Amino acid sequence: MKIMVAVKQVVALDEDFEFRADGRDVDPDFFIRDLNEWDDFSLEEAVKIKEAAANGATAATAPSAAAPAAEVVAVSIGPEEADDVLRKALAKGADRAVRVWDEAIEGSDPIAIARILAAVAKRESPDLLFAGVQSSDQSFASTGIATAAFLDWPHAAVVAKLDYAPGTARAVLRRELEGGLLHEVDIQCPAVLTIQLGINTPRYASLRSIKQAAAKPIELLSPADLGLTSSDLGEAGSASRVRRMSVPDKGRAQLIEGDVAAQADQLAALIREFKGESV
Amino acid sequence: MNSNDAVTRILFEQFSAAQVRLFYALGYAAIAIFFYGVYVQVRKYRRGAALALEGGVWSRFGDMVSTVLRHRTLDRRDHAAGGAHRLIFYGFVLLFIGTSTITLQYDILQPLFGITFWHGDFYLGFSLVLDVAGVMLIAGLVYMMVRRGWLKPPKLDYARPDRDPGDPDFDRPQYRREDWAFLWILIVIGGTGYLLEAARLVWLEARPDVWDTRWWSPVGALIAEALRGLGLSAHGGGTLRMGLWWLHGLLALAFIALIPFTKVKHVFTSMGSLMARDPLAAQRLPRIPESQATPGVTKITDFNWKQLLSLDACTKCGRCHEACPARAVGAPLSPRDVILSLREFAKSTLEYGPVPEAAELDVHGKSVGQVTQETLWSCRTCMACVEICPVAVEHVPIIVQMRRKLVEEGAMDPLLTKTLQTIHKTGNSFGESKRKRAAWTKALPFPVKDARKEPVDVLWFVGDYASFDPRNQKVTQTFATLLHEAGVDFGILFEGESNAGNDVRRVGEEGLYEVLATANIAALGTAKFNTLVTTDPHSYNTIRNEYPDFGGKYPIVHYTSFVKQLFAEGKLKVTTPLSYRTTFHDPCHLGRYNKGYEAPRDVLKLLGCELVEMGRNRANSFCCGAGGGRIWIPDPVGTEKPAQNRIQEAAAIAGLDVYVVSCPKDLTMFEDALKTTGNEGKFVVKELIELIREAIPARRTEAVTA
Repeated sequence: MKIMVAVKQVVALDEDFEFRADGRDVDPDFFIRDLNEWDDFSLEEAVKIKEAAANGATAATAPSAAAPAAEVVAVSIGPEEADDVLRKALAKGADRAVRVWDEAIEGSDPIAIARILAAVAKRESPDLLFAGVQSSDQSFASTGIATAAFLDWPHAAVVAKLDYAPGTARAVLRRELEGGLLHEVDIQCPAVLTIQLGINTPRYASLRSIKQAAAKPIELLSPADLGLTSSDLGEAGSASRVRRMSVPDKGRAQLIEGDVAAQADQLAALIREFKGESV
Repeated sequence: MNSNDAVTRILFEQFSAAQVRLFYALGYAAIAIFFYGVYVQVRKYRRGAALALEGGVWSRFGDMVSTVLRHRTLDRRDHAAGGAHRLIFYGFVLLFIGTSTITLQYDILQPLFGITFWHGDFYLGFSLVLDVAGVMLIAGLVYMMVRRGWLKPPKLDYARPDRDPGDPDFDRPQYRREDWAFLWILIVIGGTGYLLEAARLVWLEARPDVWDTRWWSPVGALIAEALRGLGLSAHGGGTLRMGLWWLHGLLALAFIALIPFTKVKHVFTSMGSLMARDPLAAQRLPRIPESQATPGVTKITDFNWKQLLSLDACTKCGRCHEACPARAVGAPLSPRDVILSLREFAKSTLEYGPVPEAAELDVHGKSVGQVTQETLWSCRTCMACVEICPVAVEHVPIIVQMRRKLVEEGAMDPLLTKTLQTIHKTGNSFGESKRKRAAWTKALPFPVKDARKEPVDVLWFVGDYASFDPRNQKVTQTFATLLHEAGVDFGILFEGESNAGNDVRRVGEEGLYEVLATANIAALGTAKFNTLVTTDPHSYNTIRNEYPDFGGKYPIVHYTSFVKQLFAEGKLKVTTPLSYRTTFHDPCHLGRYNKGYEAPRDVLKLLGCELVEMGRNRANSFCCGAGGGRIWIPDPVGTEKPAQNRIQEAAAIAGLDVYVVSCPKDLTMFEDALKTTGNEGKFVVKELIELIREAIPARRTEAVTA
């Protein structure tokens, strides 16, 4: 049994930041990097399934009924800094870590990223592929589902509860719908699930365990290793392209005070100002 | 001068050879049981982890002897008990020496070399001394009985805050029974000693060597007179003497045999614990040895031998129980009960038979002898327990080492988990980006030097709270302005500074602490400076006491000492003396941890303030509740917080104007507590820095335009 978990290193910003020279992204100097919050939950879900399987295996009395060896593989697409989130994943209980990167991947949209993830999934052939519902920095909420499309696997989005016994062909899950409704779904494996926050309580990875995880290897793959060409990647392989990034103008609000006549005067002045007429 | 050989201690007179043999057999048996008990106890300690003590054995021995003889630690905060213990201790020691010298002559020197000294003046002098010693012993014991039976100080109540009534180990009645048995056996041994002495005098009243020198044993002589008055004959005295002799002797032998198995063993274990004392036990926490597979303490055998020994040194005196701020506000923690639980655990698992399987050695949990997570997370690592313990039990490292295991498992409050992740990500507990660390300098009308880029005389380690908390930033800006006006050449590390890690380490996240300490040491390594000054007592402690273990040795002072020096050098001058009635709260990490009691008080007096001490001050200062990472864990709703308890103490001072603090976390904690206790408007909480500013108003040209 194998579960592949797609993890992303996301960035956060504080109030002061600057845009990159080309205006299409924030200057990386201002990034505070971390593991995507949703991926923390999907990773935990995978590790929990693995641990439950391991406990079941030790409890099993018949030695011949060897439980399927459970494996969790964390996969990230990103530059070298992304090793941090993979190490965190290893510290939390992932068995292997794979990072895919090449300069050509820069500028990929979720479709292009999903193509790469699908290629990794074909290589790994997991029973389940978990992704977060979305990433906290770009919020496309489409990478996981697009990956399912490339693989032509069944998929379920916004999974809030999952019952899956390793080695079985189907998983039963509950999806979160609008208005607090739940969808209970029975899905055929292999499948792609995008995991919602709150499905579990992610464990804490102590710095000591992260340090120990640093000793474990992170497998580095290039697109070529996955049979992808430059036309599959970056802007060439994307369905969309970022044109510009900007901070929206701040709106303003003002309380008009005074008696009715004074209020009307002020309002008229504001309308004239808004139309650009001289007051 | 009396050099009459006949004036001597009557030992086995009128005993048959068989009786003497019986007594010796019993004596050897008692000693054998004693040594077997010692073996069992020593083996128990040796089943703990290894530890090499720093420093020489003899200096440790000398310190221990001095502490024991002066009863220095026993007198503190309980003079009556300390005094009574002193009577018992010296009485017991003298009686022990007296009995030993009899053995020395009778069993060793006389048979081997024919040397005798127990006669004449020496005997008479000694019998007087021992009679007085007996009175001391009994007087001390009587007071202790009165204390336990009638005074009943709350600290001697064994009811536990971390267990519920009905739990098998809720109030441990076996301890009470043992306490009373201990007092009674000693008092009966003492009492029968006097009666025996009196009976012997009556029995030998016809013998002038005995009778004429009787007043050298004044208590015995008095009782003898009384017994004679009641009609006791010499023959009756002889019979009584024989009976009492055996009773007294058997009780004494039983007492010796029981020492290693009962609370009596504290006479040895407390000396051992005092000898192994680490003067920086809480200030400098132990590193995790490279060889250790799992961090912290999981099994009882993960504690080192010294810790296991100190568990047995505890005398349940309750001083730590009384001092603990968590216990005071009803949290499920008493340092005493942590120690006693672990002691019971060690006793049940490590005293007899082979060491059990690892699973049976787990000290974490809710069973008898185990310590719960709630208990461990209640600790503020304020060091009040370690500081007051008369027998050098070091609770804080024990609790933190147990927490390390919980952190490794993630068994902690979700908000604490979040904070640790935030600190790892951003280097501060506020989750702000590193580059915002020095944002507070932007409001200043003068530039603050970047110590990484140019040499400075004074490098100021600002710390998290002072850098990011908006209320504290004002204080930080004021301090910078004061330094500027005093002409101090100072700088800061800007984004090179990270959380110092003091509290992260006390939470038990050792790996993160190492990351932070290493990062700060690297940043400090890029700066050229003469002195390190900090406004944060927590940073002060870890940089002063713990960074040296990571290769960072710096001359560091807390700002209170630094400012005092600026006043002494005339660089700061009070122009507008203040006339506030103030009280000062000693921050744990400045006061108890590093004995910085006087500098802030001296500065307050320099400013012209009246200082009224709270009952709990200096070494007995009451923690604000923020230490040990507790500032990141919410206190349970509906319970009193330590800071509120403290503010109420200050509110009892009539006419108080200002509650003075000198720690950023204190400012946050106590301003909050002032509001939540409804004391707002009665007095204010201020940083000492703010009072200094008031006493030295900025000249108009240099006024800060914030």
